Amino acid sequence: MQIISQLIINSIIAGAIYSLVALGFNFIYGATKFFNLAHGVMAAIGGYIVFYFGITLGLDIYLSVAIGVLLAGLIGYGSDKLVYLPLRKRKASNMVLLVASLGVFTALQAIIAILFTSQFQVLYRNIASQRIFNIFGGSITQTQSVILISAIAVFAILVLLLKYTVFGKAVRAISDDEEVAKIVGINTDKIIGRVFFIGSATAGLAGILVGFDTGIEPTMGLPLLLKGVITAIVGGIGNIYGGVLGAFLLGFLENFGIWKISGEWKDAIAFALLILFLLFKPQGIIKR
Amino acid sequence: MEYLIHLAILFAIYGILGVSLNLVVGYSGLLSVAHAAFYGIGAYASAILLTQSGIGFFSSVLFGAITAMITSFLIGAVLSKFRGDYYTLGSFGFNVIIFSIFLNWQGLTRGPLGISGISKPELFGINFSSNLSFLILALLFLVIIYFASRFIVNSSFGRVLKAIREDEKAIQVFGYNTQYFKLAIFVISAAMASVAGSLYASYITFVDPSSFTLMESIFILAIIILGGLANLKGPILGALFLILLPEVLRFIGLPADIAAQMRQVIYGLILIMLMLYRPQGLLGEYKL
Repeated sequence: MQIISQLIINSIIAGAIYSLVALGFNFIYGATKFFNLAHGVMAAIGGYIVFYFGITLGLDIYLSVAIGVLLAGLIGYGSDKLVYLPLRKRKASNMVLLVASLGVFTALQAIIAILFTSQFQVLYRNIASQRIFNIFGGSITQTQSVILISAIAVFAILVLLLKYTVFGKAVRAISDDEEVAKIVGINTDKIIGRVFFIGSATAGLAGILVGFDTGIEPTMGLPLLLKGVITAIVGGIGNIYGGVLGAFLLGFLENFGIWKISGEWKDAIAFALLILFLLFKPQGIIKR
Repeated sequence: MEYLIHLAILFAIYGILGVSLNLVVGYSGLLSVAHAAFYGIGAYASAILLTQSGIGFFSSVLFGAITAMITSFLIGAVLSKFRGDYYTLGSFGFNVIIFSIFLNWQGLTRGPLGISGISKPELFGINFSSNLSFLILALLFLVIIYFASRFIVNSSFGRVLKAIREDEKAIQVFGYNTQYFKLAIFVISAAMASVAGSLYASYITFVDPSSFTLMESIFILAIIILGGLANLKGPILGALFLILLPEVLRFIGLPADIAAQMRQVIYGLILIMLMLYRPQGLLGEYKL
């Protein structure tokens, strides 16, 4: 019984992290319709900025987190302005955008490694001071409960933003049809720039939270991104509700999967789920 | 001199990988990032056979190629149902799954420890243990594979592939079973990649899973995109350039670990710059 409740908690935490990554990924995909593979590296950027300000410079940890989220967002915004926007202007195909994002990912990840070395780092200054809560025999750390709350908060904010603001309406119009949105006078370049900012900032937040939970390394972005992509596709690509559903489905499947098979197969389980969905239900759980 | 020969051998191996991937990406328009998986299958097949049985190098090449063909047949059967960026994502997934198998099937691959002590090729009493003779062998394989792919792309089979790339629907109307063509070229290309893997295993005398990650697939993709898609000489030029690039970095005197990361930064920037200014690569005849 104890194992079961621990597994459920682990699944929910994993689901929360994946949904944070997938929310931003889906948000960007919805507006631009291409797989932004550089999305994961924004998580690593967020984590390392908190490491730099919070640990190296010793700034207040909440302030560092705010700077981390903001800068991750700005770098995402910059990647759109410098790379993706010129490509979209030239009507480049999705493949070109995908390869370009692969380039952004490779370059940024290596720059992080040059600045901070490839070593594994922890964000927590004093790991022993973490409080641990018990729920039905399973334990959950303070950081993990923050992860869960953040995921719910980000989800709620994005939904409200999309539903009730002018900006949200513009984003929905662009994801329906960018050309038509342009014709009715929406400044699509500006809106998509903001979408990149928000999406990358949530990825940054995800990276920071993972950093507090387990730790950071320059290559942390790729596994997070891949889980985010799988989650997004399984849930229904471009649909932020589906992304959250997919995230928890993947979280549960992985954690209950490794209960029976060894833990190293986690990634293979995740991709097997992706391929099954691509084959039999390519539109995902919730169709756009 | 010894060092130049070493670089030339690496060039031959990556030349084979580039030429074979170009058949899939350049000529058929299927952006696959699973090439390192087949490269790895060849390497492991040779490594296991050469260390654990009396079978010679050339039989192990054949065995590796057959294993790669069977695996790629199964993978390709799934992948050829997809188009565009979904194809890429699916191939992403398979690369990760195959990598997990290299890492976790410890009974066969010895997992992260890798397999060492792989012997050098021997044929009719000629021993290819000196680097110069190995270089001649590797170049010989490169030439054979180069001419094989030239034969393929100039044949009627190759013309159908190009037609699929340009307009899959149209060629289907003419009664061609495009899935069969996509699958066939994928299998051929995988067999060629496995030959490169066998050469690599026998040359380095050691294999471990870290040589066959997704990053390796991205590197091979960078070779052919830089050299030029759908041009036979493109991958050769790309391989030459990207093999020599790290040496230039060493020449300027960067420390080894920073030079390795700097290389990644440059690969990334090359991909971005190419997508922005020359999406067909240096010699390419097809734009993504």
